Amino acid sequence: MTANETRGPLARTLLILGRLALAAIFLFAAYAKLKPQAAMRWSGSSIKTSLSLFAMQVDSYQLLPPQMVSPAAHFLPPFELFLGLWLFSGVLLRYASLTTTLLLSAFFAVMVRTYTAGLEINCGCFGPGERLGPLTLLRDGSLLALALAVTIGAFMLRRKRRHESAPVAGVSAPQRAD
Amino acid sequence: MISAIHPLLVRGWSSRAPLAAAFLAALAILSPASKAQTAATPASSKTAAPAHKHPAADPAPSAPVKTIGNHTAPITMEVFSDYQCPSCGNFYETTLRSMIQDYVASGKVYLVHHDFPLQMHNYSGQAARWANAAAMVGQFPEVDAALFDNQAKWTADGDLEKYVATGLSPANFKRVQAILKGCTGPAPTSKVDHTLPQPEAGCPVDPYIIQDIVLGTQVPVQATPTFVIHYKGQSYPASSGFITWPILKQFFDTLLSQ
Repeated sequence: MTANETRGPLARTLLILGRLALAAIFLFAAYAKLKPQAAMRWSGSSIKTSLSLFAMQVDSYQLLPPQMVSPAAHFLPPFELFLGLWLFSGVLLRYASLTTTLLLSAFFAVMVRTYTAGLEINCGCFGPGERLGPLTLLRDGSLLALALAVTIGAFMLRRKRRHESAPVAGVSAPQRAD
Repeated sequence: MISAIHPLLVRGWSSRAPLAAAFLAALAILSPASKAQTAATPASSKTAAPAHKHPAADPAPSAPVKTIGNHTAPITMEVFSDYQCPSCGNFYETTLRSMIQDYVASGKVYLVHHDFPLQMHNYSGQAARWANAAAMVGQFPEVDAALFDNQAKWTADGDLEKYVATGLSPANFKRVQAILKGCTGPAPTSKVDHTLPQPEAGCPVDPYIIQDIVLGTQVPVQATPTFVIHYKGQSYPASSGFITWPILKQFFDTLLSQ
């Protein structure tokens, strides 16, 4: 067995693990923002309350005008849920991981800007109560690095599969989803 | 003592309350001022009248009532604040002021102020002393506003007295000055290492400031302003930093529509 042959399955395994880790993190982030607060039960009202609470965390970043805060707060958790499920499914992984990388880049840039501006606020990354600080920056920076690695891996794997499945002597290869 | 003053807060962090209660009980025994005022506290906190309408001509100062609004309001908002912190000033001027004029005035929100003076600020502990002394004579909202309105000025020159006087009648100012007569040493502040400050003997307001710092440590307050909202006996997670009034109002409306 050549080095290339052993590296292939290992890279695929790492890609699957990275993808599942990102999926779990995004699903948990969405859950933490949507879960009922203060002894409420899951209901439309509890989700509305949780999203209003999250809107206050978005507002504390002092980045968006008040009229944009609420739409952003109502969009982000469902989008994180969607992204988590998309990553978990593995369908069109290149695009799922690229979207994840872009979203995490935006989060990280906003967090760095807020921290360097000296604002002492809650991160809001995984629900309420976590202060934005060096540890949250380190964590989100690591997540961004993971998302970037998965994105690069997904694109490289796709390219490799294309090469492998390139028609040889007039024989056409089956098409893949990703 | 703590449960009489802050029943909602104690209910929210009941797991840590026994330690704080023990500390505050010891503090109450050691402090002659707080011993004399313990009995007055439940009555003042249970009054249905808005705190800012308490008669200013009480013959003797009572425990500080650092609240604005009606305690029967469906929502209680507890704010841990530092008078010298710029975010706290901004939060007061642009958010709390609107809230007081709107939702506090209409009986929807009961605002409870807690002092959390930070060690890094030279005058915030002293400002808290003035606010507590004013609260002892029923003039908290006036001095609270005067301190935040003039934050930039007294932060620059340290002359708190001049700006506190702008919020009070001459008679009330004299009463507040009399309460602070024994407060000549450094004012208590929260410590970076989380050790508790010691009250100055003879300064009747220090135990109340330390009491607020203890409560803040339980939340835990990691930055100022930090606020905790209570509704229907439930406490919502603490939020920190500057929040605009439209977004805070939206959260209140969501709670009230439940």
